[in-house]
Amino acid sequence: MSNTPHILVIDDEPQILRAIRTILTEKQFRVTTASRGEEGLTLAAANEPDLVILDLGLPDMDGVDVCTRLREWTQCPIIVLSVRDGERDKVAALDRGADDYLTKPFGIEELLARVRVALRHSTNSQGNQGKVVRAGTLTIDLAWHIVKRGDEEVKLTGTEYKLLAHLAANRGRVLTHQSILTNVWGPADADHTEYLRVYMRQLRKKLETDPERPQIIVTEPGIGYRFIADE
Amino acid sequence: MNSAPMRSSSFLSVFWQYLLSAIVIASITAIFFTLREALDTTLVALLYLIPLGLITALWGLGPGITSALITFLSFNYFFIKPYYTLAVHQPADLVILLVFLIVAVVISQMVGRMQASLAASTAREREATQLYELSTALAGFQDDRAIVNILAKQIHAVSHGEYVEIHILGAQPFVFQLSEIDLPNRPPELTVPIQAARDVLGEIRLWKTGSAIPSSEKRLLQTFASQGALALERARLVQAESRAQVLEESDHLKSILLSSVSHELRSPLSTIKAAASSLRGHEVNWDSPAREELIAAIDDEADHLNMLVGNLLDMSRIESGALRPKREWNILSEIVGGVRVRMRHLAVDHQLEIEVSEDLPLIPVDYVQMEQVFTNLVSNSLKYAPVNTVVRICARAEGEAIRVQVFNHGPQVPPEHLERIFDKFYRITAADRVTGTGLGLSICKGIVEAHGGRIWAENVPDGLAFNFTLPLTWDGAPPPRLPLDTESE
Repeated sequence: MSNTPHILVIDDEPQILRAIRTILTEKQFRVTTASRGEEGLTLAAANEPDLVILDLGLPDMDGVDVCTRLREWTQCPIIVLSVRDGERDKVAALDRGADDYLTKPFGIEELLARVRVALRHSTNSQGNQGKVVRAGTLTIDLAWHIVKRGDEEVKLTGTEYKLLAHLAANRGRVLTHQSILTNVWGPADADHTEYLRVYMRQLRKKLETDPERPQIIVTEPGIGYRFIADE
Repeated sequence: MNSAPMRSSSFLSVFWQYLLSAIVIASITAIFFTLREALDTTLVALLYLIPLGLITALWGLGPGITSALITFLSFNYFFIKPYYTLAVHQPADLVILLVFLIVAVVISQMVGRMQASLAASTAREREATQLYELSTALAGFQDDRAIVNILAKQIHAVSHGEYVEIHILGAQPFVFQLSEIDLPNRPPELTVPIQAARDVLGEIRLWKTGSAIPSSEKRLLQTFASQGALALERARLVQAESRAQVLEESDHLKSILLSSVSHELRSPLSTIKAAASSLRGHEVNWDSPAREELIAAIDDEADHLNMLVGNLLDMSRIESGALRPKREWNILSEIVGGVRVRMRHLAVDHQLEIEVSEDLPLIPVDYVQMEQVFTNLVSNSLKYAPVNTVVRICARAEGEAIRVQVFNHGPQVPPEHLERIFDKFYRITAADRVTGTGLGLSICKGIVEAHGGRIWAENVPDGLAFNFTLPLTWDGAPPPRLPLDTESE
């Protein structure tokens, strides 16, 4: 594998493809583009990209299906693009294995940040999984189950810790309500969004400097939550 | 009382009429018999005429004539000497007997005929009344199902049928059935088409046990059917007219929308075009501060355009009824907090105060749509309130609802406009003085109402307040209580 990460962009709008290709090439990525789902799947199989950027509104097939078919053989990160109000599709894609999403129209800074997080996460999962996560003054030692704000240890209940550890282990990624509930509470409680809301409020009270303006665990409206760790 | 013989001519009631007539004659005979020695034969004959007349008047010609004959025989048998035979010895008695027979039969016939013509006119009157009742009941209904419902019930009541079914044809065919009982397992006894001027609108099917349906009743049902056809036709005309009106109105709204939208879209587009072209034309130095400003303008105006398009989409979704909240139990303070973070760049000239306790009960709302409501109310407040004033969001539980208020120090609204500011494109000020699509508040109204709440504006001391309520129950269920753990690791 060469040093420059290879990104496959699947989108049917030529202007978006042009803009993303220009910016990503400028940022030293190798870029391949496809304007249809089938074409994208073929290119992905042939090139084995390090990251896929996938528009959910494709002319020939459902973007969520593209996502599902990619996940049948590759674990490379997938960032989905969708229009506003496409929450249902975004959640479906995330639950089928997409790593992150962006709502059109988006700023390029935002896209680059998501690309960096996704690429780092994929290298992490391939080897040296970070056992200590830092976010501002917060330190989470996932091996020793110790959470500290500054030098002071934060007391968490069992469920609170499980929730925090799950978020921290997936730092930078957006996690859907369903996936968090399934992982922390179990599949039987996957629809109890209210558990999540209440525990999240408790966690923020214990962890955030200003719980009203959370900086560490941010809400992704209509989708889920994201843990923002230091770079 | 006199409707009894006509309402039903079933076998059983006819039988009862004859039986009762016989019983009456028998009892009268028994009474006369005990007084036989005291009564003169002529007097008995005269007295017999009274029950005869009554029977004919009550039950009609058939029982009358029959009673006359029975009376004739019993009179002869019990009261004409020699007793207990039908033989007559005295010529005078023979005369009495003959006169009695003639008088009895003539009376019966006369009374019976009178009775029959009375019955016919009563029937006609009742038909007219029933028809009148039907047409009054049908008046004012513009819904096919309501009309058919009334028609079926009236037919069922008038015909004393067992079951009524009405089939309606046309663009939206349906079958109306009386729900109280089961459909009989046999073909209907009578079917009457609902015939309108141009085509057949449907069919009435009547199940009715007992003797054949008399032609007078068939005629009445046909009249009912044509009344029903008239009502259905009228309803369809009214519907077509109101559709035409709605189309005209929405056409009008669309033209307002187009002019509003093109005006609104043009101003950010002009900014973007001007900024982008001047950056491209190298008229601005690379290190000039103007460059940064132009880039910021492009970015801001692109966001503005995005918001306008979003508003239009929301509105069309509300209009078409496609805006269905994806409800989940949410914490209001989290939603409001998110709005505060998202709007921090817009609210620089005002102080945004939030008094929403995080201990309020969970509310069953669509997170994204609720965010939209707060965003629109706050941006409306920021637009009209003087700079450096406070915009305040507060919320409290009130019974089975949460009441939210967004207050600003903006100008008060004349009372007659308070309700209309939630209408589409409604502005109090001239359109060119304030930016926006004129859709923000009507979107709020659409979302709040889709959640089962209510939204209104009121003038308060020093400003204007938007209020809305949101129900705390979800399909009747109250906010959940959670199994919280308290143990530490």
